[in-house]
Amino acid sequence: MTLETEVEALRKVPLFHGIDETKLRLLAFISERTEYTSGERLCSQGEEGDCAFIILAGSADVLVDTPEGEKQVAQVSENSIVGEIAILCDVPRTATLVAANDMDVLTVSKDDFLKLLKEFPDISLEVMRTLALRLERTTRDLADARRGASGD
Amino acid sequence: MVTVLTYPVVYFLLELPKLIVNDAVQGDNFPRNVFGFDFDQIPYLVLLCCTFLGLVVVSNGLKFYLNVYKGRLGERMLRRLRFELFQRVLRFRLPHFRKVSSGEIIPMITSEVEDVGGYIGEAFALPAYQGGMLIVQLGFIFMQDPLLGLAAVSSYPIQGYVIPMLQKKVILLSRKRVKNVRVIADKVGESITGVAEIHANDAAAWHSADISDRLYENFKIRYEIFNRKFLIKFLNNFMNQLTPFFFYLIGGYLVIQGNLSIGALLAVIAAYKDLAGPWKLLLSFYQMTADVSVKYQTVVENFDPPDIHDTERLTADDDVKLDGDVKFERVSFSGGAAGQEVMDISLTVPAGSSSAIVGPDGSGRSEVLQLAAGLVSASSGKVLIGDHDLDKLTDSTLGREIAYVGGAVHVWTGTIRDNLYYGLRHRPLVPPERSAEEKKKYKRRVNEANQTKNPVYDLAAEWNDFAAAGVNNDAELDEKALELLETVRLDNDIYRLGLQSRLDPSMNDAFAEKILNVRKSLAGRIANEPKLSGLVELWNRDSFNASASLAENLFFAVPSDPEITMDQVPELEEVKKFLAETGFDQKLQQIGQKIAETMLELFANVSGDSGLLGSYSFINQDELPEFERIVRIAKSGQQRPGLTDADRSRLTGLAFKLVPARHRLGVMTDDLRDEVIEARKKFLESVVKSGDSFVAFDPDVYLPPLTIEDNLLFGRARVDRRDARRRIDNVIRTIVEETGLRHPIIYAGFGYHVGVSGSRLSAGQRRRIALVRGLLKNAKITILDDIATGLTEDDKTLRSALREVLSEKTFLYGTSNAEIAAEFDQRFVLDQGRMTDTG
Repeated sequence: MTLETEVEALRKVPLFHGIDETKLRLLAFISERTEYTSGERLCSQGEEGDCAFIILAGSADVLVDTPEGEKQVAQVSENSIVGEIAILCDVPRTATLVAANDMDVLTVSKDDFLKLLKEFPDISLEVMRTLALRLERTTRDLADARRGASGD
Repeated sequence: MVTVLTYPVVYFLLELPKLIVNDAVQGDNFPRNVFGFDFDQIPYLVLLCCTFLGLVVVSNGLKFYLNVYKGRLGERMLRRLRFELFQRVLRFRLPHFRKVSSGEIIPMITSEVEDVGGYIGEAFALPAYQGGMLIVQLGFIFMQDPLLGLAAVSSYPIQGYVIPMLQKKVILLSRKRVKNVRVIADKVGESITGVAEIHANDAAAWHSADISDRLYENFKIRYEIFNRKFLIKFLNNFMNQLTPFFFYLIGGYLVIQGNLSIGALLAVIAAYKDLAGPWKLLLSFYQMTADVSVKYQTVVENFDPPDIHDTERLTADDDVKLDGDVKFERVSFSGGAAGQEVMDISLTVPAGSSSAIVGPDGSGRSEVLQLAAGLVSASSGKVLIGDHDLDKLTDSTLGREIAYVGGAVHVWTGTIRDNLYYGLRHRPLVPPERSAEEKKKYKRRVNEANQTKNPVYDLAAEWNDFAAAGVNNDAELDEKALELLETVRLDNDIYRLGLQSRLDPSMNDAFAEKILNVRKSLAGRIANEPKLSGLVELWNRDSFNASASLAENLFFAVPSDPEITMDQVPELEEVKKFLAETGFDQKLQQIGQKIAETMLELFANVSGDSGLLGSYSFINQDELPEFERIVRIAKSGQQRPGLTDADRSRLTGLAFKLVPARHRLGVMTDDLRDEVIEARKKFLESVVKSGDSFVAFDPDVYLPPLTIEDNLLFGRARVDRRDARRRIDNVIRTIVEETGLRHPIIYAGFGYHVGVSGSRLSAGQRRRIALVRGLLKNAKITILDDIATGLTEDDKTLRSALREVLSEKTFLYGTSNAEIAAEFDQRFVLDQGRMTDTG
C-alpha cells in the first residue's frame, strides 16, 4: 500500500472527514505504517499513551481490566481511530487493544499529532467536532441508561 | 671558535678583489712567484680568481654551519623553556587555577616563547659573528683610507641613538599586543567550552561584540606598531644610502688626486655593501634583545607564583607507604572565598574504617576531603596519615596511596580503556621491544631529551601498574575493571557502546569468528520462530530488503571506509561509472525527483518552526528552496540552463536514502525491485570484486565497516513492526549471553572513544568511569565526595557495594545527607567550616 491508498483509507475515518487531501497525505506521511498479527497487543490499559492508531485493515478487540480478568467490551475495525484520547490529554490508556486478526495500522505519535493540530487549526476543529459528537452520544446513552434503571 | 675562524677568511675575501684589480689586471713585472711557483699574468689572474672562489665557498660553508648550529641551539632551548613552563603549571597549587585560565597559559607556552627560543640561538652567535664581521670590514676600510673609514661610520652614532629611541615605543606596544592576544585567546577558548551556554542563552551577539572589540584593539595596536616600524626602516635605509654618497665624493677625489688606487676604492665600496648587513643585524639584534627580554618577563612572571610547589614533589619517585590513621591536627584552610573555608578542625579516622564527612555545599566538606587527599595544603595545622605530614609528601606517594574522586570529575579525551587505567599509569614499567632501526631513532630521542632536560620516559612502554591493581597481565586487568564496572553498574552501558563500536577483525580473529557463529544461530532462530521472523529482514542476495535504504539494496555492500556517508557515495568515481553503465543514474534521478516533488507538495504549507519537517522529511527546511529550484528545472525539461552535476547527485542522494517500508511514496514498483536485484549482482562483479572500496554483504564474512551489533544481526529490524528494534535487541542480548560473548563485547566497548573531555558520555557515565578509575588504583585510602548520594535504591546498593569493595581500607565519604551518613562507621558533621558533631 502506498501513501495514496492510505489517504483513501484516512478519508473514511470520521475524525478526518472534512480535511483536505494534502493534509491527509501529510498525516499519512508522518505516521508509521505497522503490521500486527492476530493476538498481538497494540497497547495495554494503564500504560502511558504515546501514539494513536488508525486502523487501515483488520480489527482489534477492546478489553478492560475487571476483577475477573480482562473482558472484551467492544471491537474496533477498519477506518476508525483509537487511542487518541491518551495522546490529547495525559491520561493512561483506558483500555487494552488486541489484534483480532492480522491488521494494518497507521500509528501517529503524540508529538507529531499535536504538532499537526497546532499547524492546521481546521484539523483541530474536526477533531473537536467529532469529540463533541461522541460526548453528546455518551451523555445521551448515559441518560437512557438512567431512565432505564429508574423506569423498571 | 668557528666564528673566529671566519674573520681571516672574510678579510682575505675583501683583500682579493683589490689584488686582482691592482696586481693582476693593472700590474707588471710578470711572472710572479707564489709559494715557489712562477705565474704569468693570465695564469696569475686565474689563480687569484680561483682562490677567491674557494674562499667564497669556505666563507659560506662556515656561515651555513653557524646558522644550523644556532638554529639547533635555539630549538633546544625553546623545547627546554616550554617544558619548564609546562612543568611549572603542574607545580601550581590548586587554588592558583582559579586565577589563571588555559586560554591564557596556552599561547604563553606555544607562541609567545617562540621568539625567545629563536633569540637564544642568536644571542651567542650573532654578536660574535656579525660584530667581528663589522670590525674586520671597518678595519679593512680604515686601512685603505682613514677618511673613507670615517665616512663609513658617520651615520652610526645617529642610527645608534635615534633608532633605539623609536624602538622603545614599539616594544611597549608589542607588550600591549601580547597581553591583548592573550585575552583574545582566553575569550575564544571560553566561548568554545561554553558554546552550549551561548546557544541556550542566545548570547552569540554579545560574544561576537566582545571579540570584535578586542580585535579592534589589536588592530589599533598593530597599526601603530607598523607605522613606527616603517619609520625606523625609512630612517635606516636613508642613512645607509647616504654613506655611498660620501664614498663616491671622498673616494673619487682621492683617486683623482692619486692618493688611492681604483682597486682600493672598488674594494671599499664592496666592503661597505657587505658592511650594511652586519650593521643592520647588530641593530636589529639590539632591538630584539630589548623586545625579547620584555616578552620573556611578560611570560615568566605568570609562571612564578610565590607558593609554587617544589619540582621534587612532581618528579620524585619515592614510595612511602601510608599506613595508619588519618589525622587532622587543628587544621585551617581558606580557598579564598566564603564557603571554601575550614577552621581549626581536629579529627581522627582510624585506619581501615569508613567515615562520612557530612555537610552541605559550602560547609567545608569538600575542602576537608581535598585536604585529606593532599590536593590542597593547610594554611595552619597538619594533616597526617600515620606519621607522615601530607604536605611533605610527593605526588608519587599521594597519587598512589590515595584515591580521590570528587564531585567534578574529569574524563580525558581518549578511549574508555585509557580513562579506566589512567590511575595506574604512574611511570613506564616495561620498555617496548625495539628493532635496530627503531633503537637508533629512540636513542636520538633520548639524547635530545637529555640535552634539553626533558624527561626521558617512553610513551610506548607498558605503563599500567599491574601490581598496584593486584593483577598480573592485561587480561586480568580487563577482568578486574569489568568486575568494578559491574559494581558501579556501568557494565550495561559499556556493553551497549561495545555493540555500537566497530571491530578490526584482523586484530582479533577469534572474536570475529564467534560473532559469525552468533549470526548463524540467530538466523536459525529467526527462521524457526514465527514470532521473530516477522521482526527482521535479513540480508539476502536474491530479495529486496524493504527496511533498508535503496542504496543498501542496490549496492548490497557498504563502503569499506565507515567515514563515507550515503551523501558522499554518489560522488565516488566507481559508483558514477556503475550507475551510468546500468542506466540507474536516470532511474535514480527520476526517483529522487519524485521524492523531492512529494516533499515539496507535503511540506510547502508547513511552517518551518513546526518541527514536522525535521523529523520526517528526507529534506530539511534549509534545503527546500534548493530542491524547489531543482524540481522546477527538471520539470520544465529545458536543456538550458539544465541541471548541474551537483543537482543530479543531490537527486540521486535523495533516492539512495529511500527506505521503502518507511517512506511509502509508491516509487518502488515490483519491476524496479527486480531491476535492483539484477543490478546488485553486476555491482558485485564490477565494483566490489575489482576494488577494495566496498565490502559486500556476505553471511560468512565479518564486515568491519559495520558495528558489532549490525554484524550480529546481519539484517534490518523491520520498520513496519512495532518495537521490532527493541524486541530483536532482547533476542540478541540473550544469544550473546548464552554464547558468552557479552564480556568480549564489553571489552570492545573499552575501545570506545569518549570524545573531547568525555563529551560523548552522559554526566552519570563520566562519574562512574572516574569512580572505577579510582577504585582500580587499589589505594589504601579512598576518598569519595558527592558520589551516589541519592536515596534511591540504586544509589543505596552502589554505596553498600562500595563499602564492600573498600572494607579493608580507609574510606572517607563526603555527603550532605545525614541519613546516608548513618551507614558509615563514624560521622563528622561540618557547618560553615567548623566541626559541629562527631559520632
